[in-house]
Amino acid sequence: MTFLMDFKQNFIEEDRWKFILNGLGVTLRVTLFAVLIGIAIGFVVAVIRATYEKTGKLVICNFLANVYLTVIRGTPVVVQLLIIYFVIFASVRVDKIFVAIIAFGINSGAYVAEIVRSGIMSIDPGQMEAGRSLGFNYIETMWYIIIPQAFKNVLPALGNEFIVLLKETSVAGYIALEDLTKGGDIIRSQTYHPFMPLLAVAAIYLAIVMLLSFLLKNLERRLRNSER
Amino acid sequence: MSDKNGNDKKLLISVENLSKRYEDLYALYNVSIDIYKGDVIFIVGPSGSGKSTFLRCLNRLEEPTSGNIIFDGTDITDKKTDINKHRQKMGMVFQQFNLFPHMSVLKNLILGPVKLQNKSKEEATEEAMALLDRVGLSDRANAYPNQLSGGQKQRIAIVRALCMKPDVMLFDEPTSALDPEMVGEVLEVMRELAKENMTMVVVTHEIAFAKEIANRVIFMADGQIEEENDAKEFFENPKSERLKNFLAKVL
Ligand SMILES: Nc1ncnc2c1ncn2[C@@H]1O[C@H](COP(=O)(O)OP(=O)(O)OP(=O)(O)O)[C@@H](O)[C@H]1O
Ligand SMILES: [Mg+2]
Repeated sequence: MTFLMDFKQNFIEEDRWKFILNGLGVTLRVTLFAVLIGIAIGFVVAVIRATYEKTGKLVICNFLANVYLTVIRGTPVVVQLLIIYFVIFASVRVDKIFVAIIAFGINSGAYVAEIVRSGIMSIDPGQMEAGRSLGFNYIETMWYIIIPQAFKNVLPALGNEFIVLLKETSVAGYIALEDLTKGGDIIRSQTYHPFMPLLAVAAIYLAIVMLLSFLLKNLERRLRNSER
Repeated sequence: MSDKNGNDKKLLISVENLSKRYEDLYALYNVSIDIYKGDVIFIVGPSGSGKSTFLRCLNRLEEPTSGNIIFDGTDITDKKTDINKHRQKMGMVFQQFNLFPHMSVLKNLILGPVKLQNKSKEEATEEAMALLDRVGLSDRANAYPNQLSGGQKQRIAIVRALCMKPDVMLFDEPTSALDPEMVGEVLEVMRELAKENMTMVVVTHEIAFAKEIANRVIFMADGQIEEENDAKEFFENPKSERLKNFLAKVL
């Protein structure tokens, strides 16, 4: 019976389940939008880097892109989050969710960029030549011909990035954002029962990750079976 | 095959002292030639003689080191020229086809006309289907490139270039990547094009085919035009020793 009592105390009393549910909502929202920002940044950076590698153009953009990649991948995401919240947004009052989305988006962009860059570099140079010979300019050829193929090739890796990011957002509590992890931790601090809330949090992460992995496997299989 | 129709010819492309240098070697050195509307020019020569480089310089897929290319009155080597606009008028067919694998055949064909020439989807589709029909592939409009044989791919690639309504078609060894039994179907399409007075510049190893449809033939060696002549003269009366040797080997 202690199990039931524990359960009641941790989740039912004072509507504590809301910490979990609201936290889950925050986590999913932050992850989703951060991934979208990451993909946007990642594609731009990847195109810059691939263009530089292939043509030697965009020297300055490529330099800035390299600085971005080096700094973001060379420092812990928590530190980036803290800096963006306490330094960059120090004097403005902004929604913490917004800050988290920006921070994780910028962080994710660096990893997405390298994924997409390898995708772009793996496309046969003949594709670029065919596009250019039709009269498309460089950017148009990238957009209509190269990126769709590269995107398809790296979709599984991008899905994986989504999964990684979902787990990484659990450090959002450092700026007191009440995400899923923080939600469980708040319950723990109120009930002094760490076991149940923290295990519940872990179970939810695990369930989402397993679900996403399953969807990703299906997607990969379907991509393999489609026209290529 | 002699001079087509005997009409007086309009200058389409004028190549003046074209050179292309890669680090330590000239892949192309001081090449000059005039190409007239309706010309079917074949370029032959040993491997590494600069045939592809010459062809790819014509639409600046390869940036020439020096020299000028006047296409339809415009110097397209001038950095101020919008090369993209002129490339629309210079169709190119590659050895490796280079169809877009993520698009259906029809999408491959209408992408250029719709995005670059502001045609409606319907109009572009109609034109593409008519051309597809001419190469006998209208039933493959919705297929994807990897569902096609090499010969079919190359015919589609030719149609893709034709959909842009080019003034000239550039072919770089269009049959070299094909199984022997598929060469014929591609040559047939090119034969038809030549009959319709399409201006063509063709790099090939198919000497017999050059003999059949070319009106002019260029022999390249070491990045230069070693010999250039009307097709008949070229094959019957080769002048340079190198060309004689070359022809003796390939014929
Ligand atoms: N990107 C490049 N970098 C350096 N050298 C090159 C490059 N492309 C071509 N070359 C050199 O330029 C010369 C001409 O090459 P090109 O491809 O035009 O010959 P080709 O006549 O088309 O030969 P093939 O019949 O084998 O296709 C060759 O010596 C080749 O090695
Ligand atoms: Mg070649």
